[in-house]
Amino acid sequence: MTALSGTSGLPVTLGRGGKVALLALTVIVLAVASVGFGSSSMSPGRVLLAIIGEGARSDTVIVWSLRMPRLLMAALSGSALALAGFVLQRATRNALAAPSVLGIVDGAAFGVMIFLFIFSNESNALTVSILWQPLAAASGALVFALAIILLAVRTGAPPLRIILYGVALGALAKAGVTLFMIDGPVHRASQAAIWLAGSVHQARWSDVSTLACVLALIVPLTMLLTRRMDQLELDEQSAAATGLPVRATQLMLFALATCLTAAAVSFSGAIGFVGLVAPHAARLAIGGRALPQAVAAALIGAAMVVAADLVVRVAFAPLEVPAGAVTAVVGAPYFLFILLRAGRVHA
Amino acid sequence: MPENNKSEIELRGAALGYAGKLVFESLDLSIRAGRLTALCGPNGCGKSTALRAMRAMLPAEAGDVLLKGRSVSEFPAKALAREIAMLTQNPSAPEEMTVAHLVSLGRYAHRNGFSADARADRAAVAEALDSTNLANLAERPIGTLSGGQLQRVWIAMVLAQAAPVILLDEPTNHLDIAHALEVLSLVRRLGAQEGKTVIVVLHDLNLAARFADDIVFFSGGRVAGSGEVDEVFRQELIEDVFGIEYIVRREEASERPYCIPLAACPARRDRLVQL
Repeated sequence: MTALSGTSGLPVTLGRGGKVALLALTVIVLAVASVGFGSSSMSPGRVLLAIIGEGARSDTVIVWSLRMPRLLMAALSGSALALAGFVLQRATRNALAAPSVLGIVDGAAFGVMIFLFIFSNESNALTVSILWQPLAAASGALVFALAIILLAVRTGAPPLRIILYGVALGALAKAGVTLFMIDGPVHRASQAAIWLAGSVHQARWSDVSTLACVLALIVPLTMLLTRRMDQLELDEQSAAATGLPVRATQLMLFALATCLTAAAVSFSGAIGFVGLVAPHAARLAIGGRALPQAVAAALIGAAMVVAADLVVRVAFAPLEVPAGAVTAVVGAPYFLFILLRAGRVHA
Repeated sequence: MPENNKSEIELRGAALGYAGKLVFESLDLSIRAGRLTALCGPNGCGKSTALRAMRAMLPAEAGDVLLKGRSVSEFPAKALAREIAMLTQNPSAPEEMTVAHLVSLGRYAHRNGFSADARADRAAVAEALDSTNLANLAERPIGTLSGGQLQRVWIAMVLAQAAPVILLDEPTNHLDIAHALEVLSLVRRLGAQEGKTVIVVLHDLNLAARFADDIVFFSGGRVAGSGEVDEVFRQELIEDVFGIEYIVRREEASERPYCIPLAACPARRDRLVQL
């Protein structure tokens, strides 16, 4: 018992609410740091003054038109991916389920590649506005997710099988992406590579507001289903015996996870491992019911991407290293840690 | 006791099976209200199939499964859960989940959106923990419990569901005899206290004879015998059902019958196959 509460790494005296508050505070501190640091750094005081519109004019411009959209994009897509991962892990009762496993992210990448391929002219320039790229990504994600959901409905397959469908379709999309990368125009390939690794450096206010609107719709729906997610911690039969319509619930959760993933990756690309690591960390840190865990997962996801973007801007400037590279560097070892830990529990 | 003959659950000509393979072509069975009924029979005879059909987890391909005269397939999911609680054969939950949390999951059918009656929930969970003697383990993660304790937790979850009918699918599986006795005494005592209708799938005939009011013997896709323990717990019938020679005796203190298996009985096995 003590070992379990000890794994949280947080003071045991802190309640669930306290831990969530601590996470929120972390996100805020990271946000202020993220706005403050960059090619021209400013103190937290100057950041806050600029935010409320009382700072120097140059500060206000840097904060409001350059760094804020980037920060918000990082925070929103991070929490969307984390929430998607949380929902998938509950729907499948599997700590290894994540948006990137389900083929949705690969589907989005495929959509982007087709977009870049079709709308590039001979001199490698886009013939249409880059603003259409998120739509291409979302379409790719939704098409692949729809294919998986259709397969799931038609076969009435259990969650693990749905994951395998996702892996298979994802592999197909990945193969297509590789083909376009090799065969496509060189400049587009490098641009696609940044998108594939996941980056928020091109964030615009219009993107941020679109993503915020989509999330404002999906997140409350997700939170409404947390009771059902609580029941899904039981095996399917026991959950059904308590009165939960299991298959219908799983399908709804899959649909929500797909929308969350599509919304996030459409704008910021395939930021890796956030959807896997954040919900798992939330489970370790908070435990208990789904609602506080979902909130914690979203906060951890936001913190991860904001921190990763901060690192790439400070450590690799003036190079544009995608934030997804950093989350992968942190996330992949954590993934291994989950596997090793799971192995130990079952041994 | 007039209500003793009222049937709570009734199967009428129910065709039950999986993936086109029928276990029962036409099952007729009536379970009496307020009594503890044991479902017995050899492996694959359809005990669990019948139980799952009663909980509407397995739709009848023909015929009807009725709860208080109404087809179980007509009940919305939560409404049926408020009528029938069920402990499945191999229930599982994450190891780090606490006892109290797991038991509270039994309250799902009593919750509606966010307007749940939290006080009634808490009272029901506390009562279930009390009656299963788990109050002092409420905050323990279930991964730290022994097999017997864990089974009590699952039974507490089923009790928290506060349904008048309780189905238990081999609740003594994986338990040693002391814990099996403990679990069944608990079920028997709580069922009798609150007048619940309890239906238990049991492998062990002597446990069935000791704790049940009624026994249903299944064999080869039909009901071989159904009725009060004294009526059906007969040497002839048991030998037929299991294809083994038995001695049936009566234990003096409890006046309950018990049986001792002797040897395989080829003649009777042949007869079984012909049926």
